[in-house]
Amino acid sequence: MTPDQFRRLAETWGGDVERWPAATREAARRFAASAEGAAVLDEQGRLDRLLAVAPEIDEARADRSSLLVLQRLAAVPQQHRPAWYRRLLRWPTLVPAASLACSAIVGVWLAGAMPYVHSASDPLSVMSGVFDIYAIGYGSVQ
Amino acid sequence: MAEVSAQRQHAFRVLMRRHMPRALRVAERIVRDPAEADDIGQEAFMRVWTHAASFDPQVAKFTTWLYRIVLNLTFDRTRRRTFLPLEDAGDVPDMGPHAVERLIADEELSLLNRAMAGLSDRQRGAIALFHMEGLSGEEAANAMNLSAKAFESLLGRARAALKANVQKIQETGSYA
Repeated sequence: MTPDQFRRLAETWGGDVERWPAATREAARRFAASAEGAAVLDEQGRLDRLLAVAPEIDEARADRSSLLVLQRLAAVPQQHRPAWYRRLLRWPTLVPAASLACSAIVGVWLAGAMPYVHSASDPLSVMSGVFDIYAIGYGSVQ
Repeated sequence: MAEVSAQRQHAFRVLMRRHMPRALRVAERIVRDPAEADDIGQEAFMRVWTHAASFDPQVAKFTTWLYRIVLNLTFDRTRRRTFLPLEDAGDVPDMGPHAVERLIADEELSLLNRAMAGLSDRQRGAIALFHMEGLSGEEAANAMNLSAKAFESLLGRARAALKANVQKIQETGSYA
C-alpha cells in the first residue's frame, strides 16, 4: 500500500483501520505502524471524534414520541371485515361446501346411471305381497 | 419482531422503547430540527407497525430496516422543504457540576451542526450511520440502499466537505 492510497482510505473511512474494508486492513495495519501512517490516522481520528458527537435524545422525549405513535394507532379505525363473498372463499368454508357439491354430483350421476324400476302398485300385487308376509310370519318354520 | 407482525402492542411498545432514540437521533442529524425529527421517528414506527409482516429477518437486521425507513422519510421531507432551519441559536449555559465539559461538548456540537449544514442530506445520512451509529460500511450501504462502492464514494465526499467546512468556520468564525 502506497502512502497516497493509505491517506485516501483514511480520508474516506477515518482513523480506525479496523473499520476500513476488510480487503485493505492487513496492508493498512503495516503502514499504520510507521510514523507517517500514525500521523495520518491521528489527524483523521480527530475528525472522527467530532463526527461521532450525536444529538442528545433524552428518555422522556423518546417516550413521548412512542406514546404519540400508540395514540395514532388507536385513532386508526379497525380494519373492515372482509365482504361476505370473500369470507366464503376461505379454506374453512370451502371444505364443507366442496364436500356437499361432490355429494350432489355423485347423487345426480347415480340417478342417471342406474336403471329406473317401477314398484308394483296394482291391487293384486299388493295383496299378494301382504299374504306372502303373513305366510312367512305364521306358517313358516322361521 | 414476530410478535409485532402478529400485531401485539406490548411487543411493539418494547420495540419502540429500545429503538425510538436511534430513529430520532438519525433523523435529527439529517434534518437538524428536533420537532421534525420527532415527526419522522413517529411516522417511521407507524410504518414499522403497518409493514411488520413484510420484514424478513433473513434479508436484513431490524435496525438496518428501521434506518432505511427513517432515511427514506427524511429524504422525502427534505426534498419537499424549501428552507433550511437556522443553526446559530445559542443554548442556555449549564451551571451544573460538569459545566466546563458540557460547554466544550456544546461548542463541538454547535461546530459540527454548522459544518453539517453545508452537506447534502445523503452525505449527512452517510456520516450519521457510519460515524454516529457505528455501522460498518456494508451495513450503512445496505441501509442507504447503495452499493459498497457508491457508499464509499459518498462517505469520502461527505468527510472532505465537512472537513473543509470546519476549517472555514474555525478560520472565519462563520460558515457562509
